Amino acid sequence: MPIPALIIPLMDEKALRLLWDDDQISTYPFPYLRGWCPCAGCQGHSGERQFIRVENPQLEAISPVGNYALNFRWSDGHDTGIYTFEFLRTLSDQFAELNENSAER
Amino acid sequence: MLNEHDIRTQLQQVSYPGSRHDIVTLGLVDTITLEENNVIVHFRPSSATPDTLQRLTQKITATLSTMSGIGTVSVHTGRPSGPAARPGPVTAPSKTPLPGVGKVIAVASGKGGVGKSTVAVNLAVAIHTLGYRVGLLDADVYGPSVPLMMGTEAVPRAAHDKKVFPVEKYGINLISMGFFLDDQSPVIWRGPVVMGIIRQFLRDVLWGELDYLIVDLPPGTGDASLTLAQEIPLNGGVVVSTPQDVALLDVNRGISMFRQVHVPILGIVENMSYYLCPQCGEREEIFGHGGTAKTGLEVLGEIPLVEEVRTGGDAGKPIVLQHPEHPVSQAFRTLATRIIQASSIPLQ
Repeated sequence: MPIPALIIPLMDEKALRLLWDDDQISTYPFPYLRGWCPCAGCQGHSGERQFIRVENPQLEAISPVGNYALNFRWSDGHDTGIYTFEFLRTLSDQFAELNENSAER
Repeated sequence: MLNEHDIRTQLQQVSYPGSRHDIVTLGLVDTITLEENNVIVHFRPSSATPDTLQRLTQKITATLSTMSGIGTVSVHTGRPSGPAARPGPVTAPSKTPLPGVGKVIAVASGKGGVGKSTVAVNLAVAIHTLGYRVGLLDADVYGPSVPLMMGTEAVPRAAHDKKVFPVEKYGINLISMGFFLDDQSPVIWRGPVVMGIIRQFLRDVLWGELDYLIVDLPPGTGDASLTLAQEIPLNGGVVVSTPQDVALLDVNRGISMFRQVHVPILGIVENMSYYLCPQCGEREEIFGHGGTAKTGLEVLGEIPLVEEVRTGGDAGKPIVLQHPEHPVSQAFRTLATRIIQASSIPLQ
């Protein structure tokens, strides 16, 4: 399982960029990353992935969670999402599909 | 005439260490300032380590100095102040955030009563006898047994800023919930309190300079284990089990937990592996044999069921110190050596 080798917040482009240790680059626009927050508060228990629309979210802090995930603090005060590396990779690999999905909601 | 565009193009020749991507494409290069013919390259804040940034600075200087008419080259890798400094701490995911502490190794089991604390205590002492500085964190807040097994009831001394010094015994820095309770009081706490205690044990204890911090986890896969795995990047996990199937059933859950949170599993220790009859010297495999190998993990050691291990624990003097020449002590030292070797393999 690849893990991030480098984390670069692109504040001017309002996106987070990751360089993975298998040399893939992933770029996540903040509304996309905030919208697919995996925490129980955002996702509930329906089993279907929810997209949480937030106007112009800003990334305020990034902290590592052990060996396996990243945690973000957003300008709306939300900070409970633990984004596992697997999940971040999925968000990157399925960007086209999930981004279209989020636009519909 | 030098211009920013040409410099940026030239910087595309500088690839990030370990990657085929260059620093411009990655977005590491923020602004480029030109003062006459002197160049200042500003980096965006990132999780790149100071070592990497220094290597990049050298590469940048070397690459740009080949351009004609260039004056001095400087690279600003520091975090800018003001609004541009956000977001806050960006850290590499594989750095240990405990200051002064080298490797953190967790000792876990799926099931209780398999001798996890016994293994953790003797392992800590064995690593220390091999010449390393060792700490032992008793994360079993509900049933702390490290104070008894290490033979100390000392109360940790308070330090500045609501921090405490660990208790030192046999050259090992210890912290345990047992130091803060009397013998009788039950620990009746919900998960969030346990999480708070584990955090405090990590952050508010002045561990000092350690090569290894051994963490004795409570049985199972509950709050203490999860908090530990989230709070710090663990360098390795050691699983303890007895050989019989009922113990192995739970051990597999412990193994899955480590895998889910990306903690490298160094191997399994088979405790109570066999009984050596003190009368006839015959080896009896009470709990069966070879069970731990079924997990597919490397069996790091087989610790026999001998009375000296138990009396060492009850008397507060681990067998590794009490009877250093005993075959079990030898087994613990072998285990310590293997864990040191296994955990020195870089993460990832």
